[in-house]
Amino acid sequence: MRVEYINPFVEAAFDVLKEVLHTDIHRGELFLKSATQSVLGVAAIVGLAGDVEGRVLFDMSAETAIEVASVMNDEKFTSVDDMVKATITELANMITAQAVTKLHELGFKFDLTPPAIFTGENMEVTDTEVEALIVPVNLPMGKLEINVAVRERA
Amino acid sequence: MGTISEEVKQAEGTRQGKVDFKMVTFSLAGKDYGIDIMKVKEISKANKFTYVPNSSPFVRGVFNLRGDIISIIDLRIMFHLPAEKKNEDALEDMIILRLEDYLIGVIVDSIDKVVGISSADIQPPHPIFGDINIKFIKGVVENEGRLYIILDVERILGGSEEIQKKETSIIPQLFEKKPEVAYDSKDEGELSFNFIKETLATFKSFFVSDVNIAWVKSRFDEWKGIRAAKGSDLQLKDPEEAEEYLETFYSPESGVFWSDKMREAVSAVLPDLSGGSISLWNPGCGRGFETYSFTCILRNRYPKARIKVWANDNDLLAISMAPNLLFQRHDIPDFYSPYTVEGKNGLQFSQEIKDSILFEYHDVLNPNPFPEVDLILARDILSFLPVINQQLLLKEFWEKLRPEGVLILGAHEEAPAGEWDVITTSEMKAFKKKM
Repeated sequence: MRVEYINPFVEAAFDVLKEVLHTDIHRGELFLKSATQSVLGVAAIVGLAGDVEGRVLFDMSAETAIEVASVMNDEKFTSVDDMVKATITELANMITAQAVTKLHELGFKFDLTPPAIFTGENMEVTDTEVEALIVPVNLPMGKLEINVAVRERA
Repeated sequence: MGTISEEVKQAEGTRQGKVDFKMVTFSLAGKDYGIDIMKVKEISKANKFTYVPNSSPFVRGVFNLRGDIISIIDLRIMFHLPAEKKNEDALEDMIILRLEDYLIGVIVDSIDKVVGISSADIQPPHPIFGDINIKFIKGVVENEGRLYIILDVERILGGSEEIQKKETSIIPQLFEKKPEVAYDSKDEGELSFNFIKETLATFKSFFVSDVNIAWVKSRFDEWKGIRAAKGSDLQLKDPEEAEEYLETFYSPESGVFWSDKMREAVSAVLPDLSGGSISLWNPGCGRGFETYSFTCILRNRYPKARIKVWANDNDLLAISMAPNLLFQRHDIPDFYSPYTVEGKNGLQFSQEIKDSILFEYHDVLNPNPFPEVDLILARDILSFLPVINQQLLLKEFWEKLRPEGVLILGAHEEAPAGEWDVITTSEMKAFKKKM
């Protein structure tokens, strides 16, 4: 993954999460992964197109998703209902959009696809031919993993 | 097959004498051995032992047996017997021994059964059983047409006079014992060489293989002299000593802008341009000094060509610096001046050079998603990957390089002669695909 892309994603995730959750967040070590990875339970995916092709996946457990949605809506949720899904989708959209804006300022032009959300148990994601950058984020509500897999258009 | 106790009964039935000695039998390199059942706590299967650095080769590591940490000894390695190669995931047969107050696990080829015999039938050992030093053998016994060699585990794994010592002390103790077993001096040299190999891997993740064995061997001879002069032994005891050993391994002008001498050497091995473009893959580019140097050399050599450089490293910190590398005028040889521009905080490479290079945070062992290249620059990269990954990466180099392409490895690294031709100039060595 192009070095210049990494910071915008990390910064955007921090700015947005800090703002919407009003809390301190900590980042784990970034790392690369290529093989199949397990997905925690609630995964929002945003596609990228333009100078690059790929996608960004936001992955967290159902409990974390419920708590994050509760904080963002100032309302208590108990299950992963439509409102929780809509909230997580929006969060993914906000982070990716801010990252793409930062990248645009640096001269890289991307477009986003509308986000989609997957929920379930024992899910896995496999990227063929692209390696994924994992940004682990520790929230008071639990762990959120941002999984960015993009490559330059040949 | 019945249960073990049935077999024991059966075995007992066939014996004339009184059964007063039972042993667990197992095989090592096709021969049958036995250990007194009173010393055996249990038998078990396990794998993935935790490696203990700087231990003897026959210590496979430690293992958590339901909360007890026990050392695992590979009897085959200890006795210099051939061990069958198992997959990494395959389970090893282990006998857990209870010796006085500690447990120790020994790995054997396969565990057979429990055999009951009369101790009166045990014959004294005879030197003819060559594989294992006679002092470790308690005796030999015949049972149902098979000859079992009974091992004296306390002599092998402790020495009765010091048996009270804790498990942790058993390893050096074993190690001290080794010279008593008569080796000729060649074996000893090979042994220290193997220690060096293992400690380099542990301390510096430097893996000895065909890629670098020639250098490691010649350095070993030098090393003997260096250490003898200092009066210290050959072994590498910490990362600093391992680094000292590797001191002369690193290629000249690593991690700096290349001097004119280096530039000329590199230019000499560059191929003639076949199309309108030239591409370079530079895995392990670090902060990018060599990548920029090489790119400028390419620009100079092929003024009209379209240049494309894929530079990657899995060290995020290092490669983050690469795209906007800053330096001062006096840091660089004059050759590079035309390719630089003055910025606010110092000198940078020109946009044209920067646009040719794509710095990526990337692990070369993951798929490398770019087309064939004309040149590969991978100095001192292979040696720091585990041997299996070295082979994978060499294969990847072979696949990614165009037929006329050139591979540049570290100054002390070799590509396998079966697949690569060496092109040598007075200054450096490079490789071409064997067609």
